[in-house]
Amino acid sequence: MENELFMNTEFPPPSEFEPPSSSSAMMLNWALMDPNPQQDSSFLWEKSTDQQQQQSIFDSALSSLVSSPTPTNSNFSGGCGGGGGDGFIIRELIGKLGNIGNHNSSREIYGGTTPMSRSALCYATPMSSPPPPSNSNSHIMMNRTTPLTEFSADPGFAERAARFSCFGSRSFNGRTNSNLPVNNNNVVNNSGKLTRVSSTPALKALVSPEVAPMIPGGEFSRKRKALPKGKSKENPISTASPSPSFSKTAEKKEDWSGKGSKSSDEKGGKRRREDEDDDVEEEEGEGNKSNNTKPPEPPKDYIHVRARRGQATDSHSLAERVRREKIGERMKLLQDLVPGCNKVTGKALMLDEIINYVQSLQRQVEFLSMKLSSVNDTRLEFNVDALVSKDVMIPSSNNRLHEEGLQSKSSSHHHQQLNIYNNNNNSQLHPNNMMLQSPMNSLETSSLARSFTHLPTLTQFTDSISQYQMFSEEDLQSIVGMGVAQNPNHESQHMKLEL
Amino acid sequence: MASADKTINTDVPEKDVFAIHFLQSLSNLRIQNLFNSPDTTNYRVRKIKKAAYVSMARAAGGTSRLWSRALLRRAAKGNNKIVRFPRRKRKVTWKISSKRRRSDQRAPVVEDAAERLRNLVPGGGGMETSKLMEETAHYIKCLSMQVKVMQCLVDGLSPK
Repeated sequence: MENELFMNTEFPPPSEFEPPSSSSAMMLNWALMDPNPQQDSSFLWEKSTDQQQQQSIFDSALSSLVSSPTPTNSNFSGGCGGGGGDGFIIRELIGKLGNIGNHNSSREIYGGTTPMSRSALCYATPMSSPPPPSNSNSHIMMNRTTPLTEFSADPGFAERAARFSCFGSRSFNGRTNSNLPVNNNNVVNNSGKLTRVSSTPALKALVSPEVAPMIPGGEFSRKRKALPKGKSKENPISTASPSPSFSKTAEKKEDWSGKGSKSSDEKGGKRRREDEDDDVEEEEGEGNKSNNTKPPEPPKDYIHVRARRGQATDSHSLAERVRREKIGERMKLLQDLVPGCNKVTGKALMLDEIINYVQSLQRQVEFLSMKLSSVNDTRLEFNVDALVSKDVMIPSSNNRLHEEGLQSKSSSHHHQQLNIYNNNNNSQLHPNNMMLQSPMNSLETSSLARSFTHLPTLTQFTDSISQYQMFSEEDLQSIVGMGVAQNPNHESQHMKLEL
Repeated sequence: MASADKTINTDVPEKDVFAIHFLQSLSNLRIQNLFNSPDTTNYRVRKIKKAAYVSMARAAGGTSRLWSRALLRRAAKGNNKIVRFPRRKRKVTWKISSKRRRSDQRAPVVEDAAERLRNLVPGGGGMETSKLMEETAHYIKCLSMQVKVMQCLVDGLSPK
């Protein structure tokens, strides 16, 4: 770490440095403390500071401590060259300087370093987290470090240090570019960069426990915030992915999202379906999410989908999954409807079954209509006699239909119902026929007569309907009542329009 | 899955509703005196079939279902007076082309079957697959109900 410290002294651009006329105190400081032969650069670094200010303050501080007169270049350079004899004095100085460094007042020396160059910042970053100075062993270390602690004490300084860090990985810069809150960045990245040995795991270890509770806030807040509103978890991914330098952070985020998604999967996919425009919204959401770096503003109603663990969090694939689940759900519904679909497994076969069933039903309708047309022909001879019995039979017919209605409610096996009804029909053939024929006969007499009997037929039919009304269930009442309530003339016109 | 999803409603009215509607349409046919001089059985059959479908569509809820709406619209083409369609409160989003294009990429097996289904179910051309499934379910229920009614009628009217 020390090596790192002093290695970084090479980074600062030498252009800013000038040989100072003064600030000799600083020079002494570094000259004494620096075991590294690269002293020149450190000196240069010192020189780049706000020299006058520093020097004055430092001089005053020194003068208070040192009995000797105000140090000048010559003195200190002499001190540098003094060697062993003066070394003791110098060490004392260092110790006292270290003490000075701890004082708040002396912070000003370093605090006023707003125009501090980047080089200084190199020191600031590692110094932000070092332990508070302890006395004995780490004396020199402390001395070495304390000035820098003072540098880093300035929060703004630290911020700038982080920004222009010569540790500066691209990810760091990239992250700052994305306008995340800087403090968190500093904390995370400083700690991450400090422990250079363990880069990713430490980072992950640092970040994941940090981030997981930080979900509502923190550096991922911006991206995560879009989650409840927005569609999916790929927002952090999608925002991370455009910047290729996000290698570490991206993978870190993915791991995090993986963990997060696992936890959320336990909650179950939270989805809120909207009325009818969900497809529209999904469309827009997909288009927005795929390319934007910023989380899109979610529309009002949105489908909330959680990415499950081990599944792709791509926006398209998520929407795909939603759709497939919808379709699967409906297929289950259809499976119950279509008889004989339980044995069949797989969507394709089931769909084939469904298509066959629909086709068969339509064919049945056609066949029965053919039969009806033929039946109507043969039934033309039936006469008013049947009409007489109509009034008697109608309630029973009504009840029959009602029974059928009940049966249809109870079970979903349509064929069975049909059989049951047919059995009923066959068992009570004669009255059934009579009862069913009666309205038909009432209809057919008109055609028989080939005259304008349609009106009486109609009236008869409406009578029958009113009969229904008296004995019918509520739905029948409501439906029929609507028809009957109208004027018979209107009704006839209405019935004409029906076809 | 979708915990907060609305349950798909595929209720159909009772059989008597279908019966009433069908009988009404048949009586209408009588009024038109079609069966007096049948030119072709085919024509009559077609008429009855059309009456059956229309009555089924009406019984199933008129214009509240996509397939019934499409059916009625199709049937109303030949008439002078157009079947009245109530104003819809909700805006209908027509996303046929985009949805179809996108859905073609999804599960081509499902989509092939869905295409066939679209040909069968009235009004299926404008529906997305999931919606199509819903409509198919309701359509199947109504069809089966109509078949039952017609069967009863035929049985009742057929000679012993």
